[in-house]
Amino acid sequence: MTDLPRASARVGHVWPRRVVAGARAAIERGWQSMKIFRRYPSALAGLVLVAIIVVAACLAPLIAPYGPFEVVRGASGGVVRLSPPAAMNWMGTTNQGMDVFSQLIWGSRIALMVGLLSALGSVLLGTIVGLVAGYFGGWTDEVLMRATDVAFGIPFLPFAMVVISIASPSLTLVIALVIFFLWRTTARVIRAQVLSLKTRPFIWAAKAAGAGNFSILFRHIAPNVLPLSFLYIAIGVQAGVMLEAALSFLGFGDVHALSWGRMLNDAFRAGAMRTAWWWVLPPGLALSIFVMSIFVISRAYEEILNPRLRSM
Amino acid sequence: MTALLDVRNLGIGYRTSRGDAKAVDGISFAIEPGEYLGLVGESGCGKSTIAKTLLGILPDNASISGSVIFDGTELLGLREAKFRAIRWTGISLVPQSAMNGLDPVYTVGHQIREAIESHRQMLPAERDRRIEELFALVGLPKVRLKDYPHQFSGGMRQRAMIAMSMVLDPALIVADEPTTGLDVIVQDQIMRRMREIHERLGKSMLLITHDMALVSENCDKIAVMYAGRVMEYGGERVFREPHHPYTMGLCAAFPDFDDRRRELISIPGAPPDLLKPPSGCRFHQRCPFATAQCATQEPPAVEIAPGHVAACHYLDRAEEFRARAKDPRTWRAPQAA
Amino acid sequence: MGGFRDYFVRRLLLLAFVIWCILTIMFALFQLLPGDPTMLFIDSNFSQDMIDRQKALWGLSDPLWLRYVRYLWNMVTFDFGRSFFQSEPVSDIIGDKIENTCLMIVPALFISVVIGTLIGAVAGWRRGSTFEHATVGVSLILHSVPSFFVGILALMIFSYQLRWLPPGGMVSLGGVEGFWPIVTSRDYWMHLLLPGLVLVSREITGPILLLRSSMLDVKGSDFLDILRAKGLPERDIIAHATRNALLPLVTYIAVMTGLLFQGQVLLETIFAWPGVGRELVQSLSDLDYPVAQAALYVMALAALACNFIADLLYGLIDPRVTYA
Repeated sequence: MTDLPRASARVGHVWPRRVVAGARAAIERGWQSMKIFRRYPSALAGLVLVAIIVVAACLAPLIAPYGPFEVVRGASGGVVRLSPPAAMNWMGTTNQGMDVFSQLIWGSRIALMVGLLSALGSVLLGTIVGLVAGYFGGWTDEVLMRATDVAFGIPFLPFAMVVISIASPSLTLVIALVIFFLWRTTARVIRAQVLSLKTRPFIWAAKAAGAGNFSILFRHIAPNVLPLSFLYIAIGVQAGVMLEAALSFLGFGDVHALSWGRMLNDAFRAGAMRTAWWWVLPPGLALSIFVMSIFVISRAYEEILNPRLRSM
Repeated sequence: MTALLDVRNLGIGYRTSRGDAKAVDGISFAIEPGEYLGLVGESGCGKSTIAKTLLGILPDNASISGSVIFDGTELLGLREAKFRAIRWTGISLVPQSAMNGLDPVYTVGHQIREAIESHRQMLPAERDRRIEELFALVGLPKVRLKDYPHQFSGGMRQRAMIAMSMVLDPALIVADEPTTGLDVIVQDQIMRRMREIHERLGKSMLLITHDMALVSENCDKIAVMYAGRVMEYGGERVFREPHHPYTMGLCAAFPDFDDRRRELISIPGAPPDLLKPPSGCRFHQRCPFATAQCATQEPPAVEIAPGHVAACHYLDRAEEFRARAKDPRTWRAPQAA
Repeated sequence: MGGFRDYFVRRLLLLAFVIWCILTIMFALFQLLPGDPTMLFIDSNFSQDMIDRQKALWGLSDPLWLRYVRYLWNMVTFDFGRSFFQSEPVSDIIGDKIENTCLMIVPALFISVVIGTLIGAVAGWRRGSTFEHATVGVSLILHSVPSFFVGILALMIFSYQLRWLPPGGMVSLGGVEGFWPIVTSRDYWMHLLLPGLVLVSREITGPILLLRSSMLDVKGSDFLDILRAKGLPERDIIAHATRNALLPLVTYIAVMTGLLFQGQVLLETIFAWPGVGRELVQSLSDLDYPVAQAALYVMALAALACNFIADLLYGLIDPRVTYA
């Protein structure tokens, strides 16, 4: 009987080590998938483009010739308004005399920040909800699923617009709203995956061996849904950036944040769409390229993931 | 009598990513009008491929050689339009019971009607009467015609498939593993119905199965297939006096009501890889009587008696082999010739 | 069909529950705001008479629970009160805008579904062909390009530069009014062309990709072999396959319609189309809260109703579905 206390002590030591091992295994699998990217040239192109945007965002203060709201003055000291691309301003200026190219670079920061934060937040929330609902089932599941049903019923853009009108527009609010909108998809998908995993032999083998619920959840199930979560992070980044752009374009964005959507809004409001193509195209193209690159990467990742999921 | 179906030297290969697999490699058999032929072999020896070839529904990556003459018409290379005219009117198919042969979103009645309408113009009343007739023949209540396939049990589905196969009164009915996977009672019912159809209506039938017992109970003729080749072929004599070791093995592997105490044998080993078939006699690796000659030289098909053909180097020792084949010890130690 | 009736009732109750939750959230939102809630519903420019009427309408001087109950009742009976700025009752305004939104959505939806289905079915049937590869490639691109940018581009090129099409709005000023005259006027169709095409280009990818993958699933089915063995012509076999492949499409359409309603905000703003989405944007910038609230509610309701219909439809169309 002297074995018993030692066994429980051993479990206490082993638990965190196992989690680390599990995480390491998941990361390794992710790394191997990266090597497979060579099979998907479009994904590689996407990766490169995203990398460029990330670099631009990080090095913004160094690359951008002007600040985001800085007014360009010409040789005579007057404000250079609505000038088409020239040597001084590669992408021309806005109607307020701001350099479009600089705005584009600064905008990448907002795009990345919003994208990453909202994606991470929504996936974290969605994964936890999905895990708990799927694994515990019963009332927990019912309640959480009703909550997602309600969340699904709320149309994002209109709702966000109303909330922002009532409160005041800020980037934090936008990110919070996007998280609130995105978690529901991740939750549903993760829950479905958990439900199918729950019936796999290795789970009831673990139960038979006496593992507790949380141990099973974190040691066995979570590592197997993590790849799916990563996929939804990618999807979340796209959605986050697009939603922020939409909100900014409609005029509900943060007035202090210069995002690409905001640039389009400014152009639209200024009636510049008829003439100043240099103002309209760059932010729109930047948005499109960013979203499409991530989309292409996530598709390649999804294809790699699917056979693995099915064979699990 | 000219044969209804005359298969000569049929070869079917599949182009796979790993090379060409010859599912069928030089098979010949014939079915006379009103005959019931059983084609026996282990799973994966190419039997279903033959069924698909007769109906002309092989996938595109299949290459076919040889000759298949049905009622005077060469089926291989036949133009699609002409083949379509023969399908179901001349030859019909009762598919594997494991298959979901019926479209889940249409009623069973609709699908049978469809079979008729693709080929014949019939008055609705006449058509319905025919369908009801056939349902009665297979013992299904006609109200079920309004039901969907998923509402039928496995056995009922097969009976509906049998009814559907008869709807245009074809001369030849091909049944591909029609009872595999069904429980023995249902199996028996279905085979009995098929026998009835054969006897009462004089239909020619081709039964494709791995179950030797089924064939011995129902068929007039038998062709024993192994690794894409016919090992033995003939009438009832094949059961009473098998001449090929493989046939002997198959007979000994299935229970015999008259000799219930006999211990069943099982042929050791597994069917060969069709991508690289064995040299010489295809069965030599699993044959307990194989010699060096069997490994190098392919045995010719020899006619032992009228209509009874076997391909083995040692046909003269058939009687000795038959006795030894009944002993399970022979099969536990192959290559004991 | 007893099983179905139970299922129907259960889904209906769920729908009611979700609507109630959303309404409560909306109500709470307005209540949680700092400051005098009455200021939301009363503009200081109002005459005392109007202030009193608004107060009575919204029961602003009543206790919270009574206001809540009255609010729920109003919402359920579609009584949205009066707009702050426009002379008509909100329900009339919103009704009008809904009609306009439908005038854009319905044709676009119809074309997307019909043509998308055909393209997708053929692409799935002819797996591996150049047609299929091209279809998938183009669809993926269209799917991921942000549609409001496409809208802006389209406006810039076709309207401003080339001047082929009118630059927005639903009908020209001073043009026809009323549902049938509009629908049958060339003016309307000219105005619809650009936003409609943008909408179709975005929405068509759904049915295409869905039908294609559904068709690929069906192609592996056993019953197709039997159909061919029965001697059916290729045309009939494709019909059988398509009928099977259509099943997921039904629910997709219902869900799609729901989503469309809310996605309209962007396109309607760009093209100045007088629909519900644009109304929401305008009313919010005007601080016309009764209208804004009604617009939001209507959009949520549309999405939910469409999902509800989707749930029901699938069971009716697939004979294999039973309601345990």
